[in-house]
Amino acid sequence: MQDALTRKLESFEELTNEDRGALNALTLKVRQVRARTDLIHEGDAPDTVHLILDGYACRYKVLADGQRQIMAYLVPGDFCDLNVFILDQMDHSIGTITACQAVDIPRQAIEAITADHPRVTRALWWCALVDEAVLREWLVNLGSRPANHRIAHLLCELLLRLEAVGRVTSNSYDFPFTQSDIADTMGLSNVHVNRTIRELRELGLVALKHRTVTILDVERLKAYCGFNPNYLHLRNTRWSNRRSVPWLSSGHGG
Amino acid sequence: MIGQNNIETLVVLQPIAVDTASPDRDGMLVMANGLLVGVLVRLDTPEHESFGGWFMEAGLGRLAGLRIPAFDTLEDATRWLRRHLKP
Repeated sequence: MQDALTRKLESFEELTNEDRGALNALTLKVRQVRARTDLIHEGDAPDTVHLILDGYACRYKVLADGQRQIMAYLVPGDFCDLNVFILDQMDHSIGTITACQAVDIPRQAIEAITADHPRVTRALWWCALVDEAVLREWLVNLGSRPANHRIAHLLCELLLRLEAVGRVTSNSYDFPFTQSDIADTMGLSNVHVNRTIRELRELGLVALKHRTVTILDVERLKAYCGFNPNYLHLRNTRWSNRRSVPWLSSGHGG
Repeated sequence: MIGQNNIETLVVLQPIAVDTASPDRDGMLVMANGLLVGVLVRLDTPEHESFGGWFMEAGLGRLAGLRIPAFDTLEDATRWLRRHLKP
């Protein structure tokens, strides 16, 4: 399981053998979690950092009137709560959408390893910064895009994120979300979610069958919603640029 | 105050065709005490979770921005509206 963690971090930062050795020395627990189960509740102290190995989860809050807002989808390779492990308590809950395999990394282990391994620290920062960038894009999505573009944008984002972790086959990926999940994510009614997906189908952009979505025309779907993947900071799109930034490469020899 | 609680909101529905950019088009203008407060639309597309029900397509005033679950019948909708739009 260390392997998954190392691979994840190496997609952001080149690690040395010492870094890898330190990551391999961590004692990690793998948990099987059923679908629609909380990994951690709002108000809990985040003692461990969760890494999703398999399955989908989400960050959410429930308002006083019972309305749920989903703020993030977590897919294989995503850290759940890296951004709050320094804080005292969770300000939101994390729950599974499907059955998940999650790794618990003790908070102390993260603290110890980051104290001695600057590249690991930077890789973790990178993860947290990308999470933030995704959150910003979701804010733009909710505030400024019409319903049909919002959902199309989400489908494009999931395609790229899942592709990066090898979970896309022939432009198809698992789509276990209910209409209510999407409605609670996009700030829409179930009715509008249903109509929008119908529209995307009729335009020949997507097919949705047996909880699998197929993007029939990736370029057209991206153009339809004005999708720009820059905020995902994926390795293949930014790697060469980043390596050419002088002040970044001069700072360390690794 | 006691008197006020007894005042019922008069809800009147008036058929109207609605463009929802979908096959759902049979709608009702919803008037509460003579004021337009929303538009209900019947969910005629079988893929809807509440197929056959009535959806508050648009809400005005106190109903603006609310995510109201679809109603099974117009009677349910009217009852809910009376309760939520008490004077």
